[in-house]
Amino acid sequence: MAAYNIVGKGVPRVDGPDKASGKAIYTVDVSLPGMLYGKILRSPYAHARIISIDTSMAEKLPGVKGIVTGRDLRDVRYAFVDTPHYPADEQPLAVDKVRYIGDEVAAVAAESEAVAEKALALIKVEYEIIPAVFSAIEAMRDDAPLVHDEQLEGTSAWEEWGVTKRKNITASSYAANNVSGRTFVQYGDVDAGFEEADHIREDTFELKATAHCPMEPHAVVASYDAVQDKLHVWLSTMGIFLKRFFLSKTLNIPASKIRVHHTYVGGAFGGKIDLFPYEFCAAYLTIKTGQPVKIELDREEVFMTTRQRHPMNITVRTGIKKDGIITAQDIKVIADNGAYRGSGPVVIFLCHGFSFPVYNVPNYRYEGFSVYTNNPIRGPQRGHGAPQIRFSIDSHIDLIARDLGMDPLEIMLKNARKQGDVIPNGDVLNSCGLTECIKGAAAAIDWKNKRRQFQASPASTGRFRRGVGISICSMFSGAMYYPFASAAIIKMHDDGSATLFTGAQDIGQGSYTTLSQVLAEELGIGMEDVHVVAGDTELCPIDLGSFLSGTALVTGSAVKLAAADAKRQIMESAAELLGVDNIGELDAFNKKVFQRQSPDNYVTYQQAIQASVLRKGGNPIIGTGSYKGYEKTDRYPSLSKGKGLFTGAYGFAAQTAEVEVDTWTGKVKLLRACTFHDCGYPLNETIVRGQIHGCSSMGQGQALSEEIYLEEGQLFNASFLEYRLPISTDTPELVDGIVISQEPSGPFGAKEVGEGSVAGMLAAVANAVHDAVGVRIKSMPITPEKVLRALNNPT
Amino acid sequence: MKKVIKLTVNGMEKELLVDVHSTLLDVLREDLGLKGTKKGCNQGECGACTVLIDGNPVPSCSLLAVKADGKDVLTIEGVAEAGKLHAIQEVFNEKGAIQCGFCTPGMILVTKKLLDDNPNPDEQEIKEAIAGNICRCTGYAQIIEAIMALAGRKQVR
Ligand code: FES
Ligand code: FES
Repeated sequence: MAAYNIVGKGVPRVDGPDKASGKAIYTVDVSLPGMLYGKILRSPYAHARIISIDTSMAEKLPGVKGIVTGRDLRDVRYAFVDTPHYPADEQPLAVDKVRYIGDEVAAVAAESEAVAEKALALIKVEYEIIPAVFSAIEAMRDDAPLVHDEQLEGTSAWEEWGVTKRKNITASSYAANNVSGRTFVQYGDVDAGFEEADHIREDTFELKATAHCPMEPHAVVASYDAVQDKLHVWLSTMGIFLKRFFLSKTLNIPASKIRVHHTYVGGAFGGKIDLFPYEFCAAYLTIKTGQPVKIELDREEVFMTTRQRHPMNITVRTGIKKDGIITAQDIKVIADNGAYRGSGPVVIFLCHGFSFPVYNVPNYRYEGFSVYTNNPIRGPQRGHGAPQIRFSIDSHIDLIARDLGMDPLEIMLKNARKQGDVIPNGDVLNSCGLTECIKGAAAAIDWKNKRRQFQASPASTGRFRRGVGISICSMFSGAMYYPFASAAIIKMHDDGSATLFTGAQDIGQGSYTTLSQVLAEELGIGMEDVHVVAGDTELCPIDLGSFLSGTALVTGSAVKLAAADAKRQIMESAAELLGVDNIGELDAFNKKVFQRQSPDNYVTYQQAIQASVLRKGGNPIIGTGSYKGYEKTDRYPSLSKGKGLFTGAYGFAAQTAEVEVDTWTGKVKLLRACTFHDCGYPLNETIVRGQIHGCSSMGQGQALSEEIYLEEGQLFNASFLEYRLPISTDTPELVDGIVISQEPSGPFGAKEVGEGSVAGMLAAVANAVHDAVGVRIKSMPITPEKVLRALNNPT
Repeated sequence: MKKVIKLTVNGMEKELLVDVHSTLLDVLREDLGLKGTKKGCNQGECGACTVLIDGNPVPSCSLLAVKADGKDVLTIEGVAEAGKLHAIQEVFNEKGAIQCGFCTPGMILVTKKLLDDNPNPDEQEIKEAIAGNICRCTGYAQIIEAIMALAGRKQVR
């Protein structure tokens, strides 16, 4: 492996000093002169028709400057999934019906938050309550109330972007049996595969909804400049271009008339991708009133209305040979996407997408349904489907191993995909360190000695019992979603330093730092010579956005290409100064271009740039680069059939966990967690470790304590006291292993690191609990109650 | 109803006319423009709004500003001196203890209190000291590492 100067090092974050000193500006910190404060009126009912809305009293309240209701916005539709097959089903404010508790009904902008709050109380809404449905399985029954019975039409985002409309797709009129999406994938001969098997097992698992809980609540500031006809917005987001696109589409104004300004994002984890009604309303109300409008959600609104992870029921059936080779697998997933489609069709596609790159299953069938209910809306959350599917499959594999009297490690190693494998959709695993991850994570937890399964008397009688478990996972490194690519611009300064213009958003994952490292390494300058201008739609070129773990690979590649472009121009200018004909004879490092044969013959970047301005028609040297996962546009993944190429590279991880179960209280304590992640190449070791820890902590929360409590659509634990996130004292002993597989398409070999390993903790913990006390918990999270109940009624 | 209060904020004396219902957090952020103190929950559960009052960590969202009358308040903006980052701030950044940064101001102030009282805490003491401050990004490991690295150092102040 090449030795690098800057990438690979744990250099401190470039945004660290601002964040450490309180100078970093987040959306909620933006204050503008004459700013109004907005509040949203929400539905108190899970399913009701709106008979009438009367805003007259509220309008008369002194200090109220603007009110908007669904009646003003009849035709506005948008959605995270907006394809010919799945037309947009969301509206910024409810028009005829409300579909969940928290659904937006009206918005008010007023001189103070207190006045806005008062105005909400003065809006009279008459509802007719109608029957509601709160579970996906019930919602699929023939007699269930329909959550969506409207006709949906319109041009989708994809068609506007030139993606060919598939023939014969009649935009679905309404969702029969509340099914909002279906994915069906099959390859090989599943029946024959099961026939070939020596052992067949089927298990069903259940996962509850969880919340993202970014520490920064969602907020927006919108300010319309009527003179320039320009809408300025500050918002807490993972993708500025995606938000601009949605705002442009919903407000029906050209994208160039909207400027998203940079602010720092206080955590996102998937929960800040979608366009939210409060954002639309702030924009609408600033245009209406001519004054800036700020809307800040409180923590309860964040819990209720900014998306949750999909609760799911998952059934896995596997046929396996005596020697542990899988012959067939049949997977069924039912996901409750809540009152609107949200990312329903995507998550059921991704459950497949994160299932099939892991084990080589020759005969495979997958069917997933996303279903409407009158629950809060579900959307992407770190791993987006991976925790659910990996929990189910790897709990099931552990059970199979017990049936066969085998070590689950052996089954995993025998069936794990390898470098060079072409997986059934055509994606090639050009880098795959999965086997190394499994071996590393197992060794780190001392698998052979700690696994009780192998011990002479596994059933201990003590109160506290320990066990270990393992799970493995995979994640995309970016995928095809608007705006489909990333670009970067590098402006050279007179002194040889550079400013990077990137549309990427640092949501805490450290992208400004890693992208700066890529730039500095490629261009041959120091970190102190890199300046970053980011997250502003006016100043920066398009960017895929910080989701689906694409920043390192896609944006990183764009930055690397831009740096190479700038470097080439510097070298061309230097070649003239040095009297060298062929720039192939030159090398550049440390802001100097020199002749490889005689390094003393050099010019500084400063000299080369000055010469370029003077001699090359004033060219100050600006490097540009762009990158897209795939060249071909006709191979976008199909959500419903799982065809097409999915991603440029898969990240892989293995997670082992050691737990201690208190058999008196049922409490499970995570003692030790070892995560081995194949991230291709760690651009910044400190940041990569931080991503691994963050994933592992979120996985720990989901495995042991995090759960949204809903009773008939009403959320009961919208606070950090009742929704239990891991706190410092829960931190286990952590071992992180970084597996280097050198992804050929990634910048310096890098690929995904920020999401994949969140998925491994769930089954690792469930399997460890089984190892410790011999009971199997098939539903997440593993609460003390469930453990005690299982201990009292061993099956 | 409004009331005049006196606060010493980051060493500067302030006389302020505040609404009796305003929290110290809102007064710091809105009246004094000290936006470094963060509002994560506004209900005393996350620690993002932590400031030091007379040297002790307090969630400023849960204290009415009038109750802080006459007190000495240190916010994150007062931790660096003369533009130079405090050792805690430096080491937090070096060790990866900062990701999105939203919990960071509160974490740093709690750490300051811990190290002021006990310059040599062990891992368990560190975990307990920051137990009231939620961090969703880091999983705490690098925060704990950072504080361990600071332990035993001679503090700047
Ligand atoms: S904002 Fe004060 S504790 Fe959360
Ligand atoms: S760094 Fe994001 S919450 Fe701690």
